[in-house]
Amino acid sequence: MTQSVSIRYAGRSLFRHVRRTILSIVGIGVACGLSLFMVAFVRGEGTMMLNAAAGSGIGHIRIVPAGWLNARDNNLRIHQWQDMLIALRRHPDVTIAAPHMRIEGLLAMGTRSIGVELVGVDPNTEQAVNRLVRTVTEGRYLLPGEQGSTVIGQAIAERLAVTVDDQLMVTATDQHGQIAAAMLRIVGLIEIGSRDLESTLCHVAMDDVAQLSGQSDAGDLTLMVRTPKQLDRVQAALKTRLPVTVSVVTWKDIMPEMASAVKIDETWTRLIVSIIMIVAFLGIASAQLAAVLERRREFAVLSALGMKHGRLVYVMVVEGLILGLLGGITGLILGSAAAYYVATEGIDFTKFYGEGDWSMSNMLIDPVFYGEFGWWLIPLAFVLALSATLLSSIYPAWYASRTDPATALRVDN
Amino acid sequence: MKSTDVVVSADKVTKVYQTGQVQSRALRGVTLDIQSGEFTAIVGPSGSGKTTLLNLMGALDVATEGTLTVLGSELSALSKRKRSDLRLHSLGFVFQAYNLVPVLTARENVEFVLELQGIKLDRRRRAQAILDQVGLTEFADRRPNQLSGGQQQRVAVARAVASNPRLVLADEPTANLDGENAEMLLELMKDLNQKQDITFVFSTHDPRVVAYARRVLTLVDGRIEADDTKHTLAK
Repeated sequence: MTQSVSIRYAGRSLFRHVRRTILSIVGIGVACGLSLFMVAFVRGEGTMMLNAAAGSGIGHIRIVPAGWLNARDNNLRIHQWQDMLIALRRHPDVTIAAPHMRIEGLLAMGTRSIGVELVGVDPNTEQAVNRLVRTVTEGRYLLPGEQGSTVIGQAIAERLAVTVDDQLMVTATDQHGQIAAAMLRIVGLIEIGSRDLESTLCHVAMDDVAQLSGQSDAGDLTLMVRTPKQLDRVQAALKTRLPVTVSVVTWKDIMPEMASAVKIDETWTRLIVSIIMIVAFLGIASAQLAAVLERRREFAVLSALGMKHGRLVYVMVVEGLILGLLGGITGLILGSAAAYYVATEGIDFTKFYGEGDWSMSNMLIDPVFYGEFGWWLIPLAFVLALSATLLSSIYPAWYASRTDPATALRVDN
Repeated sequence: MKSTDVVVSADKVTKVYQTGQVQSRALRGVTLDIQSGEFTAIVGPSGSGKTTLLNLMGALDVATEGTLTVLGSELSALSKRKRSDLRLHSLGFVFQAYNLVPVLTARENVEFVLELQGIKLDRRRRAQAILDQVGLTEFADRRPNQLSGGQQQRVAVARAVASNPRLVLADEPTANLDGENAEMLLELMKDLNQKQDITFVFSTHDPRVVAYARRVLTLVDGRIEADDTKHTLAK
């Protein structure tokens, strides 16, 4: 098959002014690379927030009693939760399912006391679902079947001036409004690095919470899923399997303020990427228009020979396409190098904001932010570069197609 | 056998250019017929309207007044697209400054016209055959800047005849050529005229070109002052 002369013409025309073409390619490449870096960073940030939320005990998805999301009432319970838990653990999308019972209580040692949310956990699964309790600084974590024991945050221990093996008095109000009390022996202390989080951490056996509250049903079932980026799909799938007495909520539903923060960052990134690409687009359009003006006589001659407007536009679009492909490759090299760095080395924000409490809304945030690196960079690079160059070809192409051969030849003579 | 039908018919053709408030009358009521197979020169001083008349005949522009019929089509009645089709399929152009596409080789310049015509098969071979015909076999892969002025103009002629046109319009084709190259070009054009029955109309100041013409139209101030249809061939 004969290669199209039009395509050869378009390709070679780009290299009449090598420096201009190289500058255009570099311009697109830098804009595209910068955009890729920003998208990689913000995607990484989103993933980090998801992991922070999930890893702080909130989980990817939670099964809660219907109405809990609005009321946030720990007295609401899931009935027949054991059967549900078994079914959820068998679900192909679920990797871990951990039950919880929660009750507001008061921990006391002598004359000192502190209000906490006692979380009744299953020691078999809790450390898998909650990274905050994975490392116990002093002592150990709760053992399966163990009762009358507790693991608390270091900040609580300091407030109450207690340590491992000390006994704490816990009082709570049961479902009938009666005061219930119990003694808990401290078996472990956890230091996270966030005073806020340590002040709220108090894990006990589910049976202990059941005794204090007078209710044996779980308050929530916290799930980790196989594909965290498909939360909406998994949420929808689970909803169809579970009774209407429960709600399937994601970490975004539980912590809408964090979800909004991620959304705002994404929106800003889109805006900045758009501005970068618009600036690149205007630069390329200007260079393309200059190229068209220089070739006005040539277009007039080709038009005189019978070249149609459509063919002229085609040639200009092919030029834009080649420019876009080369710019996309340059952008991919620059952007993926930057994205790879930020994905592997990360950006340590303690250098900018100092060491301190990196917790937010009961989530422990990693101060080293990592970007995301993946195959998605390739199509994104070419979509950005090609849309910028193709769009920037439209006006010059239209202008070229309007060249009146007689006028152009007469004027240039 | 040569056909004797009318290729160009102009009836009181006037062309006025408007530049701001200024009007300039390039042609003033030109009436003429050009028969198929003619080898016609249009002569006249600068500004006499030679190029304007060629542009009108070439469907590059439209007359302000009068009617101009080329190959049976009344040009003012044609849309831009139809005029473009007419140029592509039935007309050929040779320009004073050659006007080859600088980034294409000699063969590609010729092949481009064939591609514009929608020819998909055998384009390269056909382009090469035309270049062989104009004596540029070994220069086919050279770009215009690697060719002499005479060679470039021969490529331009090859490009003009590639689409098998019935009429070729040449605007001062020898103006940038030395004597030897000008003669070679004229011989080539005459050969194409005689062997392929292509009608040639060219504007010129060059007496050597005039000597080749079988008919000489003299334009002065946009009017035909003389139509020497009995011009004797010098060669």
